[in-house]
Amino acid sequence: MESTNYQSLSTLPQPSEKPIDVREKSLHRAVENAVHLLPAQGPIGVFVHHNTLHALEHLSFHDAVQYAARLYGCEPYLTKEWYGDEYARGRIRKRDLVSVIQEDLADAADETVVLPTTRFDLRLAMVCFPIPTAPSVELRWFAANTDAFRRLRADAPDEARRRILGNTRQWVEAICTPPTSSFTERTGSGQRASSRSSLTRKSAKCEKRPERRVLSNVKAVSELLERLRKEYGTLDRWTGTAWETFTVRALWEVCRAGVRLSKLKETRPPARVRHRDLLLEATGEDSDMLVHPLLIRFCAAFVDQGFSYRPLPDRELGFFRAFCRLYGQKGGPPDAWRRGLSAELRRLDEGHVTPVQSLLESLDVLGVPQVEWDSFIAATLLAMRGWAGMVHQLEIRGDRAAIAVPQGSLLDLLAVQLILERFALAYIARRSLDFREPLSRLRRVMRAAWTPPAVRTPDERAFTVFQVAQLVGWSAAKLSQLTRDEWATLVREIEGFPEGEQRRILHLAYERRFRIQVFDALMANYHDTGVSPATLPSLRSMSSTPQRQRTARRFQAIFCIDEREESIRRHLEEVEPGVETFGVAGFFGVAMYYRGVGDLHAVPLCPVVMKPQHLVEEEVIEAEREVHRWRMEVRRALGHVTHGLHVSSRMGLLGALVAVALGVFAALPLVTRVLFPWLTSRVRRVAGRFMLSQHTRLRLERSFYTDACGDDNLLHHGFTVDEMAGIVERLLRDIGLTGRFSRVVFIIGHGSSSLNNPHESAHDCGACGGGHGGPNARAFALMANDPRVRAQLKTRGLDISAETIFVGAYHNSCDDALELFDQDLVWDTHMEDILAARRALTEACQRNAHERCRRFETAPLDLSPEAAQRHVEARAEDLAQTRPEYGHATNAVCVVGRRERTRGLFLDRRVFLVSYDPATDDATSTVLARILQAVTPVCTGINLEYYFSRVDPTGYGCGTKLPHNITALLGVMDGHASDLRTGLPWQMVEIHEPVRLLMIVESPPHVLHGILQRNDALRRLCDHQWMQLATLSPQSDDISVYTRNGFARYEPESPQLPVVMASIDWYRNRREHLGFARIGCKANIDRIFQTHHNREERVFNTFTYNV
Amino acid sequence: MFDLTDWICLLVAGAPTGLFLWLGLCSLLDRVPSERAMATAVRVALGCGSVALLTLAVVMWSGSMPRLTLALGHWLSLPHYDFTVKLLFDWLAMPFILLAYMLCITVGAFALRYMHREPGYNRFFVMYAMFMVGVMITALAGTIEVLFAGWELVGLSSALLVSFFHERAAPVYNGLRIWSVYRASDAALLVAAVLLHHWSGTGDFDVLLGRQPWPHGHTPLTDVHATIVGLLFLVAAAGKSGLVPFSGWLPRAMEGPTPSSAVFYGALSIHLGAFLLLRAGPIVQRSPWVAAAVMLLGLLTAVHAMLTGRAQTDIKSALAYASLTQVGIIVVEIGLGLRWVALVHLIGHVCVRTLQFLRAPSLLHDRHQLENALGTHLHDHLDSPRHARVSPVNAWLYRLALERGYLDACLTLYVVEPLLNVFRCCDRLERYWTTFLSGRRQHRARDIAPTEIDTV
Repeated sequence: MESTNYQSLSTLPQPSEKPIDVREKSLHRAVENAVHLLPAQGPIGVFVHHNTLHALEHLSFHDAVQYAARLYGCEPYLTKEWYGDEYARGRIRKRDLVSVIQEDLADAADETVVLPTTRFDLRLAMVCFPIPTAPSVELRWFAANTDAFRRLRADAPDEARRRILGNTRQWVEAICTPPTSSFTERTGSGQRASSRSSLTRKSAKCEKRPERRVLSNVKAVSELLERLRKEYGTLDRWTGTAWETFTVRALWEVCRAGVRLSKLKETRPPARVRHRDLLLEATGEDSDMLVHPLLIRFCAAFVDQGFSYRPLPDRELGFFRAFCRLYGQKGGPPDAWRRGLSAELRRLDEGHVTPVQSLLESLDVLGVPQVEWDSFIAATLLAMRGWAGMVHQLEIRGDRAAIAVPQGSLLDLLAVQLILERFALAYIARRSLDFREPLSRLRRVMRAAWTPPAVRTPDERAFTVFQVAQLVGWSAAKLSQLTRDEWATLVREIEGFPEGEQRRILHLAYERRFRIQVFDALMANYHDTGVSPATLPSLRSMSSTPQRQRTARRFQAIFCIDEREESIRRHLEEVEPGVETFGVAGFFGVAMYYRGVGDLHAVPLCPVVMKPQHLVEEEVIEAEREVHRWRMEVRRALGHVTHGLHVSSRMGLLGALVAVALGVFAALPLVTRVLFPWLTSRVRRVAGRFMLSQHTRLRLERSFYTDACGDDNLLHHGFTVDEMAGIVERLLRDIGLTGRFSRVVFIIGHGSSSLNNPHESAHDCGACGGGHGGPNARAFALMANDPRVRAQLKTRGLDISAETIFVGAYHNSCDDALELFDQDLVWDTHMEDILAARRALTEACQRNAHERCRRFETAPLDLSPEAAQRHVEARAEDLAQTRPEYGHATNAVCVVGRRERTRGLFLDRRVFLVSYDPATDDATSTVLARILQAVTPVCTGINLEYYFSRVDPTGYGCGTKLPHNITALLGVMDGHASDLRTGLPWQMVEIHEPVRLLMIVESPPHVLHGILQRNDALRRLCDHQWMQLATLSPQSDDISVYTRNGFARYEPESPQLPVVMASIDWYRNRREHLGFARIGCKANIDRIFQTHHNREERVFNTFTYNV
Repeated sequence: MFDLTDWICLLVAGAPTGLFLWLGLCSLLDRVPSERAMATAVRVALGCGSVALLTLAVVMWSGSMPRLTLALGHWLSLPHYDFTVKLLFDWLAMPFILLAYMLCITVGAFALRYMHREPGYNRFFVMYAMFMVGVMITALAGTIEVLFAGWELVGLSSALLVSFFHERAAPVYNGLRIWSVYRASDAALLVAAVLLHHWSGTGDFDVLLGRQPWPHGHTPLTDVHATIVGLLFLVAAAGKSGLVPFSGWLPRAMEGPTPSSAVFYGALSIHLGAFLLLRAGPIVQRSPWVAAAVMLLGLLTAVHAMLTGRAQTDIKSALAYASLTQVGIIVVEIGLGLRWVALVHLIGHVCVRTLQFLRAPSLLHDRHQLENALGTHLHDHLDSPRHARVSPVNAWLYRLALERGYLDACLTLYVVEPLLNVFRCCDRLERYWTTFLSGRRQHRARDIAPTEIDTV
């Protein structure tokens, strides 16, 4: 056996001269810095949307994405081809590009690069057209197999093409005609040498001048000329094709010569910091392939939340110690690369070496100098960032997991990782390179021998210039006249606008077009709907206008701000024009731990940043207690049987017994669940209703006897009347519902349930921290109905009409089911109202399902609303469905303001709608400030997570769902041993249009300016451009956009909106994202649905809008 | 000429074959059909096939025909060699085929929705059809050559489906690993076929295993011959079923999409080894050595899988090892001669496991429901003092389980490396001789780096 001294301490470099604690400190600092870069996703069971690049929020958005692109190897924006397609279909227009580039360049736009091309022209051409790049080998292929070097680009603008061809022709004719040279006379004799000499003579003259011109180098051009003359005869006989060939070839040769002449150096990529990268490039062998599988297995066993039957031995000793104990045993795995590992681990264990000491040792053995620790440790941790991030999350947010891990586990993980890397690196280096020196020298040796991944060759660089020249119309004639400095400018100019920058510009244009659509839609709606200054009661006096009171609404409904609820609100307003809807963060101000009947845990239902102080439990009513107890027993027994069967099916003999005796019966659920999902869902629903009592109450109020659980953590059982009044008052004031109450007010929370979907919780209510918002709605309704609460509110100036009843409800955004709570508590006088409202709500749900179905390719476009509802019901219960719903995939905008400003607009489920009435706010805008404070993190979190997961589905997102494998009950892996995959799966984001959140607040700019001054977090998001901010004037259609220099007034582009009778007329038969439209007068939808199957008939043909 | 029953028999095997040919040809001609067209094709083919199969089952049952053969002619006849294509429908083949059809229909319907919009949609269904053809042919084979053909198709489609996501390195790497294990074990089957021909002059099961209805039957082979052939069959079965020492490929197979994991490694593919041993029952029973070896290997596998499965932390690996445990026990039953028990066990286990695999992504949801129903946490055993201190033996066993029995490492170290060394040695000798004979130095081809073949 070979000696293992490459890894052990015997070859350590001289003991470090610095005192050890200084080294420890800087080690801790390095780890600290690296930790921020790890993904911050917690256990997948409760999915909380957050900005994927939260750690980089101190940078501006564009800097951050570019920096992260280098750091993580991910994409900053979508690809140029993708934007190109959007350009082709009109989603991006030329005027967007023009405007964005002008804004980006500001004064530098008009500087000339090469006459007459300005920098603006150059950049515009570069973003509008694809610019292929290719390594030299591929260039040869291009030359041999394509027309790239014989014909001008087919997509080159006509003007550029004419200019290039014309200039070249003049140039050649000028050279060849008698006054300049006696070219034509000599052609007959075929004296190639002399013709070349005529050009070289010319260039010899040039060389006398101080600056060299390209022409002197282009011998190739004259040769080319000569060859073509042989082929096609004298110039006057040349065909168009011959001219074009010459033009293109000459241009290519001049570009090659020019780039060489410019002598610009390319910046070299920085040297690799990890040994593994160097070794991989040199030998093709990946040490991570040795280290990671082992580390992944151990990590999973360490953080396991109780999946595996046998827990990790010595887990309580911590990651490092447990690893040393487990793998320090004798008689271990025979892998060649791990020889000596167990002895080394025993040494660490028996010598009580701490993880930090071990880390320092490893860094010395690997020969990493202290100045490189930061980058080395960051790169090492990022190599397996999913698991490292999860260990860290469990460390700092142990409360969010069933089983936490001790502090310092990440450091332990790093120590173990480096020990393993030492062995793997030494093994590979020894075997593949016969490297027998100490490991600390490996990097130095490798770096000396390492050739950086080929810097682009001059030809490759010239190819880009060649492409650009064809697009902007630079001919060989013109380029050959440039001096070296001019060439340097030219190349710098082109290379200074690399693909990353082009994509940034395209992305900005992409966002701009959408922004303008939104602004124009809001403006048009203002003019069309009669929400004009004339009809708007003056501010301050509005809410108490008697006129308003008289036209009391049929009913009112308060929804979550979620953009998925936009459609159901719109449909509800179409079905029942007398309804008024509101949007407010879906926990309705009721921050609580909630435990339903039959639930084991109490779950927090409020935004993640809050920690609830109240516990609310659901109880079965007194009369049903006995039945309930019996049901629970049955349920428990069934649970035991199911669990027992499942566990024993994984055992040996017991499993055999089960398989022989009962196995065949498993075929029944197998076949029915897969082949008949809808039927199964019905059966399950009925069975579920039987198993759980439906007659329950919330134990909402705090009583002296029950408030015993507040031991030390300030957790109270229920709320006091004061607290309830506070919650109700705050919500009603937030949304501006302080008068004009209708007889029934619905509070509708939402959530989602789907099967076979590890990311199920990501579809739930974000404001409930990835939980269902139903209980919050129910609790709020109970509070608001309480006469004591109302009495107290009256003293605070909020008079809820005695005629008004609040009803809680729950909307399942996956199967579009709606459940009303506590219907038995409804007063008899209001039964009729509730029934009528319920009909409208059910109809709205059905239409909502219908609208959602247009996005699902497996749902036929000609579904009826009833069939659509059945379709979504089946989807939610279908084991094979990877897209139960599309979640937030359509989010893009957030409007904070009165519903009147958006009502009647078809917003395509793209807008978070937050109700806020500027008229009821006080002078310092406290209400607006607190709304923004609560809403912004939720909306930007969702928006940015979708942005990144869509832009790089496998880097920031977790790729396709199909191979996902739930591990340790914490997250998903691809296959049996991959890094933990964080972010959103492709199936959730595939239809997403990645744009940054556009937040529009109905408030005068100066008010918002004041709020920004007071709210640092919000200001930072806006200043660093992680979101876009605009204001909508409460009295007019003025829109102002927040820029670096304050608010700037928006000039409308085309404030014209297509008008349709009903939503369905606008979305019918279309699957893609739609533009905005106005839903016309009171919609006669029944008629439309009747004629629905007749595809030919369209009520309005309004497809001219988008393009 | 064919009578009606023969046509029905033909349709049972022909329906998946037709589907495979159509999908495969479309892909070859670069005319990828739409998702809808493929769905229709799958439904039609499986519909026709299953109707034919049910008819056949009724016919056989009502006519109490224990055994039907469908001869598709002598394809090649030489003095000492006779290549006959023959399908055999008997009490072993019919239940297996019924099961295979049920699973293929279920998993096919599942995949039609699950794979929606995936770039490899067409590729998946080509592999899926190829797999189905392979299973049908293996199950119905009436001669050893036909069985081998089906066996190979199953292996090929499995390996290709494991590396379905070929844009990442791990699936390709693991697919290759599985492919090489299959190669090794298939070689054993091929050698067995050749030996059978050599010793009895035919590959026809009618002769080799007797004409009595399954599970009765006698082989004309001598004890020694039966021992050798039986052991070769056992090696072939061990490779396909992931028995010790080949078990290492099983978790690697989880790289593919969920439906393929379900149908291949939870259900049909992993049981094919057991099926082979059932089919070759008379040979296994003929020699006590073989029977003992089968039993022993089965037992080893069951113990290994049980031990390993308990330490797994991800759902798919846990299910894979649970599968393997049962396969081990089924193999033990075969060794004991309990063939009916083994068959019933196999069918029951396939149903249970497929359902569990298809539900694997619901793990969190199901667990949550279960905890609510039980009113306790399922991970309570973690906090109990019983596990607080671990004995050294337990810790050693735990590492063994976490490292999956060191089987892959051992194979690499004790089989792959020595073999590679032999080949490298041969390569050096060859070079030496050619250099010596030609009298000039040759350029040395780059050595294949060992890690490209073996693994970690």
